[in-house]
Amino acid sequence: MSRTASADQTAGIAGTGSAVPAIATSSLRKDFGTRVALHDLTLAVQPGEVFGFLGPNGAGKTTAMKILLGLVRPTGGEALVFGRSPAEPAARRRVGYLPEHFRFQEWATGAELLDFHGRLAGLGGAELAGRIPELLERVGLAGRGGERVRRYSKGMTQRLGLALALLARPDLVLLDEPTSALDPVGRREVRELVRELAAGGVTVFLNSHLLTEVEAVCDRVAIVSQGRVVASGQLDDLAGAVTQLRLLLDRADRELLALLSRHGQVVRVEGTAVTLAVETLDVAPDLARLLVTSGYRLYGLVPVQRSLEDVFVELVGEVREG
Amino acid sequence: MSALVVARWTILEARRRRLVLAGVVLSVAFVALFAVGFALLYHSQERSLAEAGALGGRLDPREELLAMSTFLIVFGLYGVQFLAALLALFLGAASVSPEIDSGALHAVLARPLSRLEYLAGRFLALAALLVTYVVVMSAALMLVARVVAGYQPGDAARAVGLMVLEVLILLAVSLLGSTVLPTLANGVVMLALFGLAWLGGIIGFVGSIPPGNELMANLGTAVSLLLPADAVWRGASFHVLPTSFLVASSFANGEDVGLPFGSTAPMAPAMLAWAVAYPVACLGLAVAAFRRRDL
Repeated sequence: MSRTASADQTAGIAGTGSAVPAIATSSLRKDFGTRVALHDLTLAVQPGEVFGFLGPNGAGKTTAMKILLGLVRPTGGEALVFGRSPAEPAARRRVGYLPEHFRFQEWATGAELLDFHGRLAGLGGAELAGRIPELLERVGLAGRGGERVRRYSKGMTQRLGLALALLARPDLVLLDEPTSALDPVGRREVRELVRELAAGGVTVFLNSHLLTEVEAVCDRVAIVSQGRVVASGQLDDLAGAVTQLRLLLDRADRELLALLSRHGQVVRVEGTAVTLAVETLDVAPDLARLLVTSGYRLYGLVPVQRSLEDVFVELVGEVREG
Repeated sequence: MSALVVARWTILEARRRRLVLAGVVLSVAFVALFAVGFALLYHSQERSLAEAGALGGRLDPREELLAMSTFLIVFGLYGVQFLAALLALFLGAASVSPEIDSGALHAVLARPLSRLEYLAGRFLALAALLVTYVVVMSAALMLVARVVAGYQPGDAARAVGLMVLEVLILLAVSLLGSTVLPTLANGVVMLALFGLAWLGGIIGFVGSIPPGNELMANLGTAVSLLLPADAVWRGASFHVLPTSFLVASSFANGEDVGLPFGSTAPMAPAMLAWAVAYPVACLGLAVAAFRRRDL
């Protein structure tokens, strides 16, 4: 059938495994009137992966997530969650979700809200009676379940949102900016939570513009800008795609730059410090010898690993300029 | 199943927002006021008629008292249906769009729950509250009239049934509005529609005053088709009237034109069919519109 064919195809693009992907989208598109929120989004997330969906605000991250939950209908293309269309309610049975703005019915108590969502997810009353206190404890809200959500701080509400996302023992958790309201301790707790989920075989799809958060927990990332994936892959591959050398010399004259240009691309010159993009680190020893024999005094020669932030800014900047 | 979970949640919301408490307190006050007013007016009229009779008045006191009781009970029930109608419009308008605006609906609809189930749950719970309100209030008012004046409505069950139909019509149409319009805009549209339906009823009534004006009567009917709430209330009010009232001499002579806010004629079967189909169509449209809506 066409459905499985497209799922295989997207799995092929991701290049891992042959199982039904937790998430597969092909040429997904969403227009809101004349504004294109999502342009041709194709990606696959394998079961058990922690996948980071990175992008600046307004890149289409939330729209993509809402399509995966059946909250938004795509204008074109296809999205599948464990091989099923998110428009079918049953496809969402194995999915947990933390919305970006984590707003819940404020008149209810935290425990009532968990009970309501649990029942919608098909859990029984007896099961929920045990599950709710356990979850509140897990997200750091032990003993606060009886309070109205109205009285919760922003951070507490986001923690409640995490409890809701984990409530139905999901196989896939979609977290939209899960730490936006949390302090540094809370952020660390969420990172640990994501790692625990991953260890338990749960697939995590994380929307974020916080690079450190993504770097800390994700196996793979896709960088989106203006509704398109501009880069995707393993974190190390992305960040390490280009190697740079940072050279510190006694002077940086025109001859030096000409000399360096033969071995790589000069990225930056700051005083007498030069950053050179090279294809491989193997050029470093030869370059050092050449500089010394040419009469330069070499104070330092350090390989620089580009951070995800560098890659991100570079890619997103390119798209914005283009 | 999921629809019942949503319905239970909606009832909890109504309780938490003190809606149920406010409804009960106001209803008790309304019924008490009606009972006191009805008893005082009835007994003072009874006394003055007795005095007039002693002086050789030409009026039949029993007929006069029945006419007054009828007027009071129709007026009281008119108040009940008016409050219930406003309540239905507000509850319907507050059922979906505020949840979308606040974002609270996102997490709910991300559950294995269809949009149909969500709307069905909301409608069921609010309909249950409104139907309870209408049934309890109209029964209380008719009981007061019966105890004080021995009043017997023509067909109490039909009267209450039609009043229930009226609130279901209003709830369904404002629920439909709530799935397609922002809350405030929906509230304005619903009140305008309700006012228009009321005006349609008045136009129709004026058209029916002997010798009758066909154009106005037709215009009244046309407006009623837009929102058959007032038409259904008029149908209900007919069944409130005691049989003896309708055959009373004042009507037979054509001296009295009837009640401006009620009706002395039963509802046309075609209008009744339209009134039953109307909320069903509204709910169908609401589900279709809500399914297509991006959140």
